[in-house]
Amino acid sequence: MTTITLTDRYVDAAMRTVPEAQRADLAAELRGSIDDQIEARVADGEDRAAAERAVLTELGDPERLAAQYTDRPLWLIGPRYFLTWWRLTKLLWAIVPACAAFGVALGQTLSGAGFGEIAGSVASVVLAVIVHIGFWTTLVFFIVERSARGADAGLVGEWTPDQLPEPRQKGAGLSDLVASLIFLAVASGALLWDHFIGLAYSPATGWMPFLDPDLWPWWIGGLIAVLVLEALLAISVYAKGRWDIGSATVNVILNVVVAGGVLYLLVNGLLVNPAFFDEVIPAEAIEPLTTVVPTIIGFGVVAIAAWDCVDAFLKALRSR
Amino acid sequence: MSETEGHDTHLQELRRGTVVLACLRLLATPGYGYGLLEQLGERGFPTDANTLYPLLRRLEKQGFLSSEWNTDEARPRKFYRTTPAGARLAAALADEVRAIADAIAALPPEE
Repeated sequence: MTTITLTDRYVDAAMRTVPEAQRADLAAELRGSIDDQIEARVADGEDRAAAERAVLTELGDPERLAAQYTDRPLWLIGPRYFLTWWRLTKLLWAIVPACAAFGVALGQTLSGAGFGEIAGSVASVVLAVIVHIGFWTTLVFFIVERSARGADAGLVGEWTPDQLPEPRQKGAGLSDLVASLIFLAVASGALLWDHFIGLAYSPATGWMPFLDPDLWPWWIGGLIAVLVLEALLAISVYAKGRWDIGSATVNVILNVVVAGGVLYLLVNGLLVNPAFFDEVIPAEAIEPLTTVVPTIIGFGVVAIAAWDCVDAFLKALRSR
Repeated sequence: MSETEGHDTHLQELRRGTVVLACLRLLATPGYGYGLLEQLGERGFPTDANTLYPLLRRLEKQGFLSSEWNTDEARPRKFYRTTPAGARLAAALADEVRAIADAIAALPPEE
């Protein structure tokens, strides 16, 4: 008899993923068991073809059966590694794309790319980084799951109560208030010090302002006014005992005002004292530095403002 | 999920371990896959073929069963038999089942 039966095909399919050494033995046993089951059904008066079909249907997907024979996991990441895998992926997703976006944007700006080009490459890099992190961490855990063969790979430590997360700070305690007031006082003091005494030093002229003296009094005065508003905001958050959506929104507006003002001055070359470049920096280094210093300041200001906005909203959402 | 479906999963979970015990006891006299499947069904341990066959392999790999091909009959069959280690495992499992039954009997009575 040379016709290939469904049973032949079933046994063949099941043996495909079984290691060579067990194959002959397992195939003979499986075939014998299937034949036994078919014969029992035929003896009960069933048609042979229908009996064969019923027996094979009951046995189910041959690859699943083979996996049970050989103890192969039928999942991508099993319960043993799932939490470790998920925590690591979330951690990497939280850190790496933001760093990559910042780095790419900074590099592209320094090399003189236009806004559209920068936005395009940041978007594509961030997307690629997210996908890569997802793929490679999953691949590593997929391999670990299969190579450990039921033995513990030592990736997952025994859980102890010491690993419990700290209760989340609401960010509205006295220490937060003191910290932000001190920061604002230091910032205002630095602005005034810079104007009256100077923060940049050159051997030729002595101390001189780092910021453009033309910014006095209106721009500097406006900035100090915003800092005072920020101090009031910090006090009101402390008084309420928590961040809420309203105070987080005010915080965004204040950040946008500061960052927007600084960026406007930077782009128009009005922020840094022109004498700073003439006096403090050696002549041969001026050309690249006149673009690098403002770019780095701009990125720093935007990054800090963006983080501050997000942080306030996260605290507002958590304390709801 | 209907109530019977919910029952089914829990009943299945409860029965899973008892199939091992039944196999180890029945295979004190050598038996082969399909024959054992029938015996289990008759004795009140209904089992699916695709659960039983891999289970026999696993128990053999763990040393609780030994196997031998029997080629005397028209169809060669692989016969399994409980090893001394398998008999000890069966005794331990049976003790455990009895202990569980006693513990259940000592629970507060059904409403």
